[in-house]
Amino acid sequence: MATPNVYRSPGFDFTNEIRNSFLVEKGLPLPKATSTGTTIVGCLFKDGIVLGADTRATEGPIVADKNCEKIHYITESIRCCGAGTAADTEFTTALISSNMELHALQTGRKPRVVTAMTMLKQMLFRYQGNIGAALVLGGVDSTGPHLFTIHPHGSTDKLPYVTMGSGSLAAMAVFESGWKPNMEREDALNLVKAAIAAGIFNDLGSGSNIDACIITASHTEMLRNVEMPNERVQKEKDYKFRRGTTAWKKEDVRKFVVDEQLTLIGGDEMDTS
Amino acid sequence: MSIMDHNGGSVIAMVGKDCVAIASDLRLGNQALGISSNFQRIFPVTDRIYLGLPGLATDVATLHERLRFRLNMYTIKEEREIEPETFAHLVSSTLYEHRFGPYFIEPVMAGMSKTPSGGLKPFIAATDLIGCLNFAKDFVVAGTASSKLYGVAEGLWEPDLEPEDLFETISQTLMNAVDRDAFSGWGGIVHVITKDKVITRTLKARMD
Amino acid sequence: MNSFVERYSTTSATGQLRRAQRLADEEDEFSDAAWGSSAGFGNIVKGSPSFMVPNTPDPTSFLRLHTDDHADPSCRIKIQHGTTTLAFRFQGGVIVAVDSRATAGSYIASGTVKKVIEINPYLLGTMAGGAADCQYWETYLGMHCRLHELRNRERISVSAASKYLSNLVYSYKGMGLSMGTMVCGWDKTGPAVFYVDSDGTRLKGDIFSVGSGSTFAYGVLDQGYRWDLTDEEAQELGRRSIYAAGHRDAYSGNTCNLYHVKEDGWKFIGNYDLAQLHNQGYGYEHRVEGRSSANPPEVVATA
Repeated sequence: MATPNVYRSPGFDFTNEIRNSFLVEKGLPLPKATSTGTTIVGCLFKDGIVLGADTRATEGPIVADKNCEKIHYITESIRCCGAGTAADTEFTTALISSNMELHALQTGRKPRVVTAMTMLKQMLFRYQGNIGAALVLGGVDSTGPHLFTIHPHGSTDKLPYVTMGSGSLAAMAVFESGWKPNMEREDALNLVKAAIAAGIFNDLGSGSNIDACIITASHTEMLRNVEMPNERVQKEKDYKFRRGTTAWKKEDVRKFVVDEQLTLIGGDEMDTS
Repeated sequence: MSIMDHNGGSVIAMVGKDCVAIASDLRLGNQALGISSNFQRIFPVTDRIYLGLPGLATDVATLHERLRFRLNMYTIKEEREIEPETFAHLVSSTLYEHRFGPYFIEPVMAGMSKTPSGGLKPFIAATDLIGCLNFAKDFVVAGTASSKLYGVAEGLWEPDLEPEDLFETISQTLMNAVDRDAFSGWGGIVHVITKDKVITRTLKARMD
Repeated sequence: MNSFVERYSTTSATGQLRRAQRLADEEDEFSDAAWGSSAGFGNIVKGSPSFMVPNTPDPTSFLRLHTDDHADPSCRIKIQHGTTTLAFRFQGGVIVAVDSRATAGSYIASGTVKKVIEINPYLLGTMAGGAADCQYWETYLGMHCRLHELRNRERISVSAASKYLSNLVYSYKGMGLSMGTMVCGWDKTGPAVFYVDSDGTRLKGDIFSVGSGSTFAYGVLDQGYRWDLTDEEAQELGRRSIYAAGHRDAYSGNTCNLYHVKEDGWKFIGNYDLAQLHNQGYGYEHRVEGRSSANPPEVVATA
């Protein structure tokens, strides 16, 4: 007897596709997904790679998340910055990260950056650009430091300094004028910060704070919010409402059992002697 | 006119001091026509997690059932109650599965999550319609009045509000935003989740 | 500006000199253009004002392309609409009731719009469709009604006034004017209501309701309407109808403005917040007295 499987097969589910394309045909446009307008960068320095990203996520003209994380974990010494459709960058990097871990366990070696790059480009190419992920992949492996950009259609570049996202032009201007081969760690970090700041202040799709990640052969340092140039000042006054301002019609309070007390009934008649 | 605006409705969640609140309007419409003023789009998931599903009403029902199923499977397998963070990822992956044929829902979650020391910590999250998670520290909004909610909440929210103050702030934010949106309104409901209780109040709101 | 003052001042010497000069050669240097534009009512004697139309081979279809947001929601020129207005004739005159909500897409741009245009003490116009179109043309209509009075030594009939308006908008047919209005008033024939819209339609009738919420208003209005309604009953009916429309229609609401036209002209009855009306007895909760299907009234057993 065939046992019905309660689990669904992995991968995408297209069941709503017919309904949704019918709606599009009727003239109802598909709603916008969160996208990271984004400035993401990466650059090579003496001992490894520095990655950088801003922290703004947008939904059309609205800032949906003021402090999101765009530097995703692939392996301990490989990280990936994501621009484009936020959900796509999130899930694509998570999937590749998982596969990289399995690959590492299977081979018993530290995985290489090119492996991650190949996995990503093959996946993105398979989906013909429908997965809107534009990535900056960087890391250090047994063959040295590597830095790639991966476009949504699956094409890749290998360069010493790269930028992506809507703020890529502003950031690239900084790199073009400031990058030198064999930079010191501190100088490279400052250059990345300057590139991201250029994106934050000159590109409307990028904003808020700077995230950076320094990857060397021995150590990976994730610098979350290394710089916060757009912190909100404390409000001068508060806008607390007087209790009872809001009129309500019905109230229902659901109390939880927080702690229990045991009371023995009948005292100590149990004879244990 | 987007499909997301077809039935109307909005949800907001806010963090307070050792408490969270989630609120929504109660309107179910068919474009401009109001159908129901008692449409519940916030669902209890566990004792301490509430889930708001603004968007297309047919998908509110479908997604709620689908999540209920996946949640039950989780609870049976793990033999424990789900944590808000885990639940947020469950919602997110359910939506991303439908990346190329999405549900027209932008879920908002609020709950209290356990800390390693055994205490409880407020938690809120929202995702877009394909499951991109947004863990905010202050408030999250979604629905037809989202743009208005952003503005009002940005002005009214402040850190460390006590449960009763949080109730006032979230209620006023909801009602004032919704009064500027044609597709949301027709009453409101607020849940304030604290360590030891959940207070649910139905608001007296404009009915036009 | 100085020359303007000079021309009309009675005392200045230069002004007198100029006047003499002007008499000598009948030259008027102040054309209609001095009023800003020819559509700024400066050329009233010439009949209907003329507007610039887009310089394209087919201005009508050009304008429709950019103003018809039903066909294309992202069109360039958005005209606000979504309204409930109503007017009805009865024994005691005419009741005019409107809501006060203005929407732009789903955004409620205002909740305090005056949708009744007071043309003159005996004539009212209602506003649905383009707010600017209604305001401009009904104000313009008011000027012509006054001119009619001056020329004919009697007030214009509601019929003539509404026909003036309908002829006007007809001359701009297809160019993107958007108005659905009711011209209400009292003349020699008694109370009168005319429906005029930007298509050029002009209808005489007893009961009209215009706007996105009109169906809801008609529902209540038809139910409660009688010719021999008392003044209070009629006002209540108008208010109740607008409440119903404000309740069900997303694009209508906020407040109700109520007018009553009688033999001696119109009177503003009041402005009523629909939320207050809801809580003071119009609301469903009040009408069912706390009962619902979950909690039905007890059935009294009949033998």
